[in-house]
Amino acid sequence: MGAAPAPRDVTSHGMGLAVPLALFFLVFFLAPLLQLLWLSLHNDTAALHWGLGQYLHFLTDPFSLSVLGSTLLLGAEVTAVCLVLGFPIAWLYQRVGPRLQTIIILIVLLPLLTSVVVRTFAWIVILGRQGIINATLQSLGIINSPLKLLYTQFGVVIALAQVQMPLMTLPLITALGRIDSNLDDASCSLGAGSWRTFFKIVLPLSLPGVIAGCTLTYAAAITAFITQSLIGGGQMLFMPMYLYQQASTLQNWPFASAISIIFLLAVLAVVSVFTTLGRLSRGYGGA
Amino acid sequence: MIMNRRSLITTALTLGAMKAFPGLSYAQARPLVFATFTGSWEEAHKAVLVPAFRKANADAAMVLDPMLSVDQIAKVNAAKANPPIDVMLHDPGPALVAIGQDLVEPYPVEKSAYYKDLIAEAQEPMGPAPFFQVVGLTYNPEAVKTPPTSWADLWKSEFKGRVGITNLNSTLGTGWLVEIAKMRGGSEANVDPGFKAIEELKPNLAAVAANPGALATLFQQGQIDISPGNFNAIQILKARGVPVEFVAPKEGAIAFKTTIHIVKNSPNRELAFKLIEASLTPEVQTTLMNPPYLIVPTNSKVTMGGEIARVLAKDTAELKQKFVFQDWKKINEQRSAWIERFNREIKI
Repeated sequence: MGAAPAPRDVTSHGMGLAVPLALFFLVFFLAPLLQLLWLSLHNDTAALHWGLGQYLHFLTDPFSLSVLGSTLLLGAEVTAVCLVLGFPIAWLYQRVGPRLQTIIILIVLLPLLTSVVVRTFAWIVILGRQGIINATLQSLGIINSPLKLLYTQFGVVIALAQVQMPLMTLPLITALGRIDSNLDDASCSLGAGSWRTFFKIVLPLSLPGVIAGCTLTYAAAITAFITQSLIGGGQMLFMPMYLYQQASTLQNWPFASAISIIFLLAVLAVVSVFTTLGRLSRGYGGA
Repeated sequence: MIMNRRSLITTALTLGAMKAFPGLSYAQARPLVFATFTGSWEEAHKAVLVPAFRKANADAAMVLDPMLSVDQIAKVNAAKANPPIDVMLHDPGPALVAIGQDLVEPYPVEKSAYYKDLIAEAQEPMGPAPFFQVVGLTYNPEAVKTPPTSWADLWKSEFKGRVGITNLNSTLGTGWLVEIAKMRGGSEANVDPGFKAIEELKPNLAAVAANPGALATLFQQGQIDISPGNFNAIQILKARGVPVEFVAPKEGAIAFKTTIHIVKNSPNRELAFKLIEASLTPEVQTTLMNPPYLIVPTNSKVTMGGEIARVLAKDTAELKQKFVFQDWKKINEQRSAWIERFNREIKI
């Protein structure tokens, strides 16, 4: 029996097209990363003696761990604020006419069109002692002395949330747009109230967008060096600033490398939690 | 298409070899690269030093590459054999690091026409100091009616919630910590009294800025009314109409030598020397002393005038008497420990 020629394995096709990108990643991404790892495995600043000293130093130091902890917490707070504020906007977007849609998408995209530095300085003006918020509250007689908003965790979270908001809203808009609006109607006609419809139909189906938005926002928020240092000031220490301080001011490259590797692993861990949640959500969101 | 494995390996090996032996990448004639500081320094050098150098050297090609001292060190360190920078500019702390890491060449003093005219403090054989930066008290004259006279004024109760400082990442922050430690009986070797003093300053602190630039803008926002500050940084704000004044405290204004160095293995050694020579000439220093730059000259043949004579010093003798120079060799020994301590202890 003449067997039909086996179809070529699809993965063997066009692999050549991926070579330039693979090479690019190899040279500009993987190689520096390996160099970073190599550097972090030295106990002295001149990188002559091998050892795990830098990692031990970080992992046994309550201060370093608290910096890592507060950075991861900052990301969670910013992500939560973005989700709570971004979801209604995305939901609204799907339910208004085309003209309002244009306005909403413009408002959502606008922050992406201005530099992070400019936006962050705008927040300094808004949150300052004589800034817009304090001036308004004082003129209304609600407070007597200005509130401390700048250089607080609260200020950093608010500013970061605004800066990173598009990263949350855009995936949500896409995810909500994919949901068939007939499902809403069906749910209502079967007797579910609007909240029940939201929690049973809309939210589960939008989970892939929520997961994507959270991952993007989280990663962007914890690494946002400029906003963190300008709004947080010189005494609120997060991982990017800690890293900068060790690498640039102190020229302690091995410790800075160890910090980056630890930070990288911590972020990867958080992101993989998100991805796992995303995979679980696919049980719902297969539509 | 299937990528030939052999050619892939060849490419990878070549790239790897170029990384391991930077000398392999053939030496290329490139313009002189001068790493200056960002902001007002870049402006001043672009407007005054570069034209003076070009005029004296038949329009020799050169570029300014503005970055922080520590970044200059990192860049040169990453490619010692074929440095991407020819001339480096350093604050005293980073200068010692660069010298310690063998990144700079001794200045050819015997060839120099101007070195001997520099005041003694500026004569550094590993790289002379063409400029001083001066740190004193800066304040908002609209909010602070009586000008401060001493570092101790920052602790006055009337300045509750109105004082700004920077953390120790900057030369400004570290230098100031040493100075207040000295004021309370400490020294470069012992800054404990300084940390205690900052602890007591906490009720007055409105902000710990991440860098001197951020500190300067806080005056603009009305976030702070008084702070230790850099003379030059304040002049830029003043020129923009921000109400801010500088005063040298009676303990002495902190003077940081800004030294300029020829990078070791520079392919443009001769031009680098000539650029540095240009920075030491009385002509360049005189122009830089005048508005809008107001950079303190180090060539003793320059007659001080204008704002510098008004708030800092009329001549070299008064300058020496009013300025405090710190021992950065001692400071560098413990700086990382101080930064760590500041990270831990100073929370407001």
